Amino acid sequence: MPGIDECLLDVMRLPGARGAAVVDWTSGLALGTIGESPNGDHEATAAETAEVARMAAEQPVFAQDRGPHDPAAPPVPAVEDVIVTTALGYHILRFVETAFDSSVFLHLWLDRSEGNLALSRIKLGEIAERLVLA
Amino acid sequence: MRPSATARPETPGQTVLSPMLQRLAAERATGALTRDHGILYLADGQVVHAESPATPGIDVLLTTGGALRGDGWWDAVAQAGAGQRVGRYLVDSGRIPGGALELCHLGALYDAAFFALAPTSAPARFRYGVRHWIGPVRPVPVDAVQRETLRRRELLDRIWPDARTDSAPLAPTAGPVDTPVPPRQRRVLDLVDGVRTATDIAQELGRSAFHILVDLRRLAAAGLVETIRPASSGTGRPAGRIDFPEVTADPDVALLRRLRDALEAL
Repeated sequence: MPGIDECLLDVMRLPGARGAAVVDWTSGLALGTIGESPNGDHEATAAETAEVARMAAEQPVFAQDRGPHDPAAPPVPAVEDVIVTTALGYHILRFVETAFDSSVFLHLWLDRSEGNLALSRIKLGEIAERLVLA
Repeated sequence: MRPSATARPETPGQTVLSPMLQRLAAERATGALTRDHGILYLADGQVVHAESPATPGIDVLLTTGGALRGDGWWDAVAQAGAGQRVGRYLVDSGRIPGGALELCHLGALYDAAFFALAPTSAPARFRYGVRHWIGPVRPVPVDAVQRETLRRRELLDRIWPDARTDSAPLAPTAGPVDTPVPPRQRRVLDLVDGVRTATDIAQELGRSAFHILVDLRRLAAAGLVETIRPASSGTGRPAGRIDFPEVTADPDVALLRRLRDALEAL
């Protein structure tokens, strides 16, 4: 059964992956973590990245490009992912779309010299879909 | 390398919300811990499920958004409830993907635990050997649940330091709404009608009640909602008495019935 752990193991197979987490962006809760985290504390990292994800998801300017969406269904962020580049790494926050009301994203921390941002972004999107579609 | 639900080194003693829970974890107990505002189910000293009348159960969360049809849920309960493997059955029968069940169940567990661990003066009760019919999904260490519950209390207070929005009936403020409200908060605000509480709104939307608390505190901080004050004195209330709002001022009858049925089925 593909679940949170299998999905995190898949994420860590990406070249340059240093750490990853499944995070709820409303509460800042880490639902699952793997590998390292930039400050050595996965729970604190989750709370901080959740705030970034929430800001992106709730900005009206990004919400404009929403595709077709059933108004009765739970709102889904129009934002697909948030990418932050630092001197030594890349961070990709990928929103996970679920059939029940949730606010979940995948966070991948990549080493900048070993990681491939474009490839990782596509793969992370596929993994986010697999997580909720068996 | 193994993924884990929590990766922080354990710091015993720092975040003990319930000494009884701590002791049960240490003795790797299995059973149900009933507190004033909810129930925590333990298996081998880990939290495997939690329920609270303050927040929608996993069945409401899964069926409201359309992830699962109501009859699909009841079929799973009928088929696998007695064997206490409803979660596994939902996944194995293809009704819900494993990852989606884990996400939803973990969310519901931490959510209900937040309410169940709310401060109370009522004594807690532990029944050894009791198992929940949902069955094992993704157990969580007691320490992680206690730590997260404390973090959530601090998060709410950072957003807006008035806890009355968590339990009192709420009303939209009279002022014109020109502040942009994000879509998820908008759906909450639309249900604020002077009668509903956070728990009512959570039930209606099929959303985690803690998420609703976060949104309501943000809306209160933005000046868009306010709590309805109870009718003024002169109604026979003793002078000087302070009423503390209860988390479960208005317990959901359907949920209580479901809890009773589940307990009887054990």
